Amino acid sequence: MWYKSRFLSFGCSVGGVLCLLVAVQTFSNTSGVLESDQNFDASQAFGPGDVKEGYESEEYRTHSRSLLERRGVKQDLIRYVEDPPLGLPQVVLPEENPITRKKIDLGRKLFFDRRLSINNTLSCAVCHIPEQGFTNNEISTAVGVEGRSVLRNAPTLFNIAYQEHLFLDGREISLENQVWQPITARNEMAAPSIGYVIKKIRKIQDYDGLFEAAFDSRGPDIATIGFALASYQRTLLSGNSPFDRWFYGGQIDAISESAKNGFEVFSGKGQCIVCHRVQEDHALFVDHDFHNTGIGFAVSTGKSSATDNLTTRVQLAPGIFADVPNQTILSVSRNRNTNDLGLYRITENPNDRWKFRTQTLRNIALTAPYMHNGQFNTLKEVIQFYNEGGIPNELLSPFIRPLNLSESEISDLEEFLLTLTGSNVPDLVADAFAAEIGDIGTEDPKWPHKNTLGF
Amino acid sequence: MMKRIIYLAMAAVIPLASVFTVKADETCMSPYIAKITGQEDYVYVWTLGVEGIGDEQDKLVTIDANPSSDTYGTVVNVLSVGGRNEAHHSGLSDDRKYLWAGGLDTNQIFIFDIHSDPRTPTLHKVITDFTDKSGGLVGPHTFYALPGRMLVTALSNNVDHGGRTGMAEYNNAGEFIATHWMPTDSDLRGATKSGQFADGYGYDVRVKADMNVMLTSSFTGWSNYMMDFGQMLQDGAAMQRFGNTMIVWDMHARQPKKVLDVPGTPLEIRCAWDPSNRYCFTSTALTSQIWLIYEDDQGEWQAKAVADIGDPSSIPLPVDISITSDDKGLWVDTFLEGKARYYDISDPHAPKQVYEKVIGKQINMVSQSWDGKRVYFSSSLLGNWDKLGDDDEQYVKLYHWDGEQLDHKWTVDFYAEGLGRAHQMRFGSYALYGKINPNTKLAKIDEIKVNGGLN
Repeated sequence: MWYKSRFLSFGCSVGGVLCLLVAVQTFSNTSGVLESDQNFDASQAFGPGDVKEGYESEEYRTHSRSLLERRGVKQDLIRYVEDPPLGLPQVVLPEENPITRKKIDLGRKLFFDRRLSINNTLSCAVCHIPEQGFTNNEISTAVGVEGRSVLRNAPTLFNIAYQEHLFLDGREISLENQVWQPITARNEMAAPSIGYVIKKIRKIQDYDGLFEAAFDSRGPDIATIGFALASYQRTLLSGNSPFDRWFYGGQIDAISESAKNGFEVFSGKGQCIVCHRVQEDHALFVDHDFHNTGIGFAVSTGKSSATDNLTTRVQLAPGIFADVPNQTILSVSRNRNTNDLGLYRITENPNDRWKFRTQTLRNIALTAPYMHNGQFNTLKEVIQFYNEGGIPNELLSPFIRPLNLSESEISDLEEFLLTLTGSNVPDLVADAFAAEIGDIGTEDPKWPHKNTLGF
Repeated sequence: MMKRIIYLAMAAVIPLASVFTVKADETCMSPYIAKITGQEDYVYVWTLGVEGIGDEQDKLVTIDANPSSDTYGTVVNVLSVGGRNEAHHSGLSDDRKYLWAGGLDTNQIFIFDIHSDPRTPTLHKVITDFTDKSGGLVGPHTFYALPGRMLVTALSNNVDHGGRTGMAEYNNAGEFIATHWMPTDSDLRGATKSGQFADGYGYDVRVKADMNVMLTSSFTGWSNYMMDFGQMLQDGAAMQRFGNTMIVWDMHARQPKKVLDVPGTPLEIRCAWDPSNRYCFTSTALTSQIWLIYEDDQGEWQAKAVADIGDPSSIPLPVDISITSDDKGLWVDTFLEGKARYYDISDPHAPKQVYEKVIGKQINMVSQSWDGKRVYFSSSLLGNWDKLGDDDEQYVKLYHWDGEQLDHKWTVDFYAEGLGRAHQMRFGSYALYGKINPNTKLAKIDEIKVNGGLN
């Protein structure tokens, strides 16, 4: 089998683009054992505590976890940046924001602080939930302040340090800049201004001295808040997956034969690797580019399957569904513009319509639902979508075409994708669980009723 | 995948039965609250602020309900509280001097003084640290008085904004006492899981004080109740996150005893008043059924569906119920139909619908007077669930009920008045505080009786 070779390279050309050069290199194996602290129940790291597996069936049984068990153990996250897990490259740090433990700690505190939103209800972590793959498994598209609709599925923050383009339309260039958009976006955390947030943080006593300690006596400001949040997010590096241990670590039994077959499909007949790239010494499973799969086109042009029917099947309880007239659904749907033109919104180049950033496949088992609008709940649905060649439109990516994968190839491909879960996920989640959630307390200024903010 | 489609199993409409002896009361109140047994003077309406309407913020609206007053059927006071907090339910303190009202979004609890001047309530206290103090509860919902205490059920939590939650207990001074978490599979807290579910969700609370029994029901988390309703109905992942349980508690010990399966989202709980009637009712919002929660011959608490509400397959969405004081009748409001139904529950195991009337294009709460002759209806369900355009009627309406039909008396149009979305209604009276309504031409003190304690 070719993937057992120590070194192997191949190239492929799709649409005239040299797409890949892969080399398999064997590194010394890592332990392969979950690195989490023994005091942390690692199983909590792999999905919502409110388990809904099998909910479609009337045989469904709950396996819900108590929220009181959601207790973590603080980790020394800087080690991942200093020495990334197997399968990941070195992190390129911005010159103006070298990483430190104090910045990471401060960034973590900000990340979980719901007081950064206008009405103290939303933090970054409400949409990027640690045990849900730092995304939200429970809804397709994000919900912001006062329930305002966000068009897109919250992307995972695992390995966000490597993204060259931030947001699914790529509109930001650095994590330091990016952090301000969700905080001030009206349909996300809705802080009325950057100055408002700075002023608010300065008034919250439990931040006293933290910025000054992390930033050489410099207090909270537009730069230091961005630096701190970026520093924390940059540590969410997740690798050393079974795939990494097999592919880069030479551990032959790290993944199943089915998964190995799946990787062959991934790299060959499926051509997934064209966009979800695997390099000689690391794999980010992204190409830092944007592609039109047809999903955005279908929504914008009313060609999605939902609009073809008169009813929509809605689940009411385990095993109980109803076909609800779309007219009924429309009667309670806000005037929500679901058009999402993706990259075009940034470039205004008509050729960029409905293009979205390639998303990483690392930890893909943990980051459902899938696609930019979260329209698929399972990996099998995603594979089937690509197997059928996406949704035809004049700007459909030339990389997307019917694949004619067999059922066994689809199964193998899914099996392969399940090997991409990093071994340190429990550590990252344990650390997140240990973070204090910032809720408005009696010591905080009661800004709704007293003019303590000074506005 | 689709196991079964719900269908109409029970007869929906039964011909009008004989005239009922309806004594009715403020039957959704705690038995520990002083009651208005005569003519109520005011209806306090906890009202959601709406962008573009008036001052756009939540408010307590006071409507003159005394027909002897010159301002009968009109708004006589508006008290704005700041913010759109997702105003929802409210509840009276055991001495009925204060009205506690919650914001499902911002977790603020507004305590209004309604006794100093019942016509002009004032804001006595605002609890801003509900989430912080309770250990992470989100969405204060039901405010239910026990002696010297206020139980506050929650709908969600601050870690994933899902449905796992609990109840907070406060004293009458508004000081936090304790959190009582809902049982989950991993921590049943001493309860018995009697069926398939122990989801840990919460919604309403009611007691059968004579039996030392407390019941709670289950709805959904912040992500869903704040989300656009139409969007949510089409979100398969979101629709899996509704409650399917009710909990039987030891009231005095606050100890959960038994988890009952009540699939389809059981909401409001109304208990029979007669000590010999050892049961309560609820309605399931999604599966549109009336459920009986009762003590069987062996002394075990059980739950069973006893009637369909309209055509469940069309999801009429029953949202509020109200039992009569003689335990013979049950009002049921269905939001999507805008309809009020009256059921004969003389046989609690076989409720029969005997009357129905469309109240508006949408409907939510129902509150009836002590004598059952006056029935008030309000319109708003949730800020992002209400209907749109011309269907988005916002009102409080008074009807007189003669045992056979509802007779419309007046409507306050909450949009025309620049107020917002009308949600829950609570009654106020001068007589409760030994005062005479100075606004009535003919104050008849002897017709107004105050009856405190157990009834």
